[in-house]
Amino acid sequence: MTTSNKKNLEMRFSGAGGQGLQLCAKIFSKALIGEGYHVSMSQSYEPTSRGGLSRADIVASGDTPDYPLTTELDVLLILDQAAVNASEGIIRDDATVIIDPRRTKNPPQGNFKVIALPLSETAIKLGSERITNVVATGVIAALSHDIPLDIVEGALKSISPKKFLALNMDALHAGVELARGLKTA
Amino acid sequence: MTVQQNVAQATPTINLPTINLQGNHACALGAVAAGCRFYAGYPITPSSEVAERLAKELPKVGGVFLQMEDEIASIAATLGASMGGVKAMTATSGPGFSLKQENLGYGMKAEIPCVVVNVMRGGPSTGMPTRPAQGDLMQARWGTHGDHPVVALTPGSVEEIYQQTARAFALSEKLRIPVIVLFDESLGHLEETITLPDVTEYENTIRKWATGKPEDYKPYKADADGVPPMARPGDGYRVHTTGLIVAEGGFPTQKADVVAPVMKRLLDKIEINNDLVESFEDIDCQDAEVVVVALGIVGRSAKKAVRELRQQGIKAGLFRPITLWPFPTKSFRALTKKAKYFVVAEMNAGQLILEIGAAKVDKQSVSGLNRYDGEPISPSLIKQAVKEVLGHE
Amino acid sequence: MNEQATLKSKEDMTQDDIRNFEIRDYLRLDLFPHFMCPGCGHGIALRALLWAIHAQGIDKDKLAIVSGIGCSGRVGTYIDANTYHTTHGRPLAFATGLKMARPDLHVVVITGDGDCLAIGGNHLIHAARRNLDITCLMLNNEIYGMTGGQVSPTTPADRFTTTTPAGNMEPVFDACRLAEAAGAGYVGREVTIHLPRLRDIIAEGLAYKGFSFIEVMSDCTEVNGRKNDLGSSPEMVLGQTRAMRPSEYDNNVVDHPFRPNSMNTGVLVRSNRPEYGTSYRNMVDKVQALQQKGQK
Repeated sequence: MTTSNKKNLEMRFSGAGGQGLQLCAKIFSKALIGEGYHVSMSQSYEPTSRGGLSRADIVASGDTPDYPLTTELDVLLILDQAAVNASEGIIRDDATVIIDPRRTKNPPQGNFKVIALPLSETAIKLGSERITNVVATGVIAALSHDIPLDIVEGALKSISPKKFLALNMDALHAGVELARGLKTA
Repeated sequence: MTVQQNVAQATPTINLPTINLQGNHACALGAVAAGCRFYAGYPITPSSEVAERLAKELPKVGGVFLQMEDEIASIAATLGASMGGVKAMTATSGPGFSLKQENLGYGMKAEIPCVVVNVMRGGPSTGMPTRPAQGDLMQARWGTHGDHPVVALTPGSVEEIYQQTARAFALSEKLRIPVIVLFDESLGHLEETITLPDVTEYENTIRKWATGKPEDYKPYKADADGVPPMARPGDGYRVHTTGLIVAEGGFPTQKADVVAPVMKRLLDKIEINNDLVESFEDIDCQDAEVVVVALGIVGRSAKKAVRELRQQGIKAGLFRPITLWPFPTKSFRALTKKAKYFVVAEMNAGQLILEIGAAKVDKQSVSGLNRYDGEPISPSLIKQAVKEVLGHE
Repeated sequence: MNEQATLKSKEDMTQDDIRNFEIRDYLRLDLFPHFMCPGCGHGIALRALLWAIHAQGIDKDKLAIVSGIGCSGRVGTYIDANTYHTTHGRPLAFATGLKMARPDLHVVVITGDGDCLAIGGNHLIHAARRNLDITCLMLNNEIYGMTGGQVSPTTPADRFTTTTPAGNMEPVFDACRLAEAAGAGYVGREVTIHLPRLRDIIAEGLAYKGFSFIEVMSDCTEVNGRKNDLGSSPEMVLGQTRAMRPSEYDNNVVDHPFRPNSMNTGVLVRSNRPEYGTSYRNMVDKVQALQQKGQK
């Protein structure tokens, strides 16, 4: 079924309800399954569909994990201040933490690397703040060594409704550009 | 590691599909695979996806999906369909499980097979609708009035939800009893990569139907297995079904000398079929100094903790009931003879621990690790609790 | 098992169908003597129901009687059919599951004013709304009889009961109007003294494809009549009859929601709404056809 030499990867997409964090998780879940990982995807949300803390987690591993929920995050996305405290104490020292400074004034403190990028601003420039999640997806895809970009593109294509596909693709590539800017800087 | 599973050990056959599936959807698909052709339910978080998936799946196989006017009507319609001879299920969460209790008791007493799923959320009362909890373990056992046996299964993964939901139908049909399936919100909403287990044997398990001449048939005269064959409407038996205590002939009685044996059979029915009902997972219990007892998602957490503790040279084991009720006390005792300590980890204020307290022997000590704040119990908390009872900080 | 139950319309029923009725053919005689008090109207209602079943030529093996709790709930026990004595207020919900699972059965619910309108009120309005092919017979004796005579949603104003020692102050439900408003396709009401009329209303209800609701004005001499000096059974039944207006003579009178002297009898509603079971099976056929198309 899967090759067990794959290393475990724990990702969290967090923010406020309605920011499309489940979609981020779904895209990476699909991409990782395509890469032969065993993927466990969990979520936590408030009873209302909009606002409040929302998060979607992925635990990717070579085989069925003993524990399918996150315990040590490798990748953390924070799109809203409401989500900062939720990950306290479970971020690895070598983790990549990506935040949107426009909505996250006090990022988490620790030994890990915090990368602040104008995610929502980029989305607004493209036409809608609602695609901030896809911009973030592009950033994470570009920064990750485990998931080839074309696999993420494929996953987004398979999930995106047709009428939003072009916009979503633009957002994904804008995110990739943001990440590349980082690398050259 | 051994998993004891006495009803139809699921043996993988060729080309079983590997898919990513959510726990609640696995519950729905496991039910359909087991032959469920009737579902009645009422929307409630966090179990609604069970209903939503069945609304899609049941018409495809010619089954009936009904969204009823309330939780009580849902279990009533489920029992009604089963009385008509169809494998039937309802699913709910905390408040709905409370509302269903009276009719659940009716099903137990009138011996009507069905499956009742409770995707547990934080309680009491409306509690925390989108947070996981294991606060309904004792409610599953003692929620209805009066004495009767209960069969409750507590799967620990998405794959197991599929399998145990299917198995619940088989046990329910075979033993003529509503079977409860309990898992918490985090498992209900967890999506995992799974290989769909083969449940053909569960699908093929159907209740014993009445045969022979109607005039010789006694609706509550049991066979050696303690289970009476059931009469299907339309087959010519024209029997009476009631929540009242009845004599073997099926009609109400309050005569002590008639009631006593009737009640005794009902109470013993599950115990004499324990080989069929019992199931649990045991990891390194035999030589363990500390045995962690946990079920559902906490069982998963404990599995990771126990493995890591063993790597550190600590003799830890895990006992995870898959059949919670009746609790597998005998097997538990036999496996944990060497244990000095039990750590009972559960997402409630202390329910499973009552059973372990009753099952432990001699000087074995029992301590609880409890969380009721809507967050799961992490492996590190369990490791810490084990180290604490052993006196290493 | 999926074949639907069909019956004769009023026009198709002949005098022969109605004659030759022997109630013993439909009773579990070994359970006698029955539990009903002398003068109780439920026995007459039972006779009317069995007579209607006979007139319709329903096979007892295909007859399912579903009842709830209370005096009405126990009536079904005496019927030689598939009988289900369920929980308080829930017979319509049980019957809904049974009928959807087994459309070949004739499903008759026997319920009471407390069972159907108080604890089970929600199920009545939704069963009426769905219009599933069930015949619901509500035996209205205006009291909780089995528990010793407490006030019910149909106890008339000023009546003395064990829980209204100073007389009842609550307005009553008009069950038929409630059922009609909720969508029941066939609604009727009759007093027990008019046995042939009651029989015919039930027979037509049995044949109706949809939810038929029939309120039988029954009398409870033991804990209602006695406490209120309403006399013995004949006097109570005559009193009830005076309080009713047969609808065929009195169709133009605007009805009032409160009794006394305001309720119509006869067939009150006949409508042509889609029957739920049929609609459901049509949907299943469509889904399965689409699926087969997809597979090709």
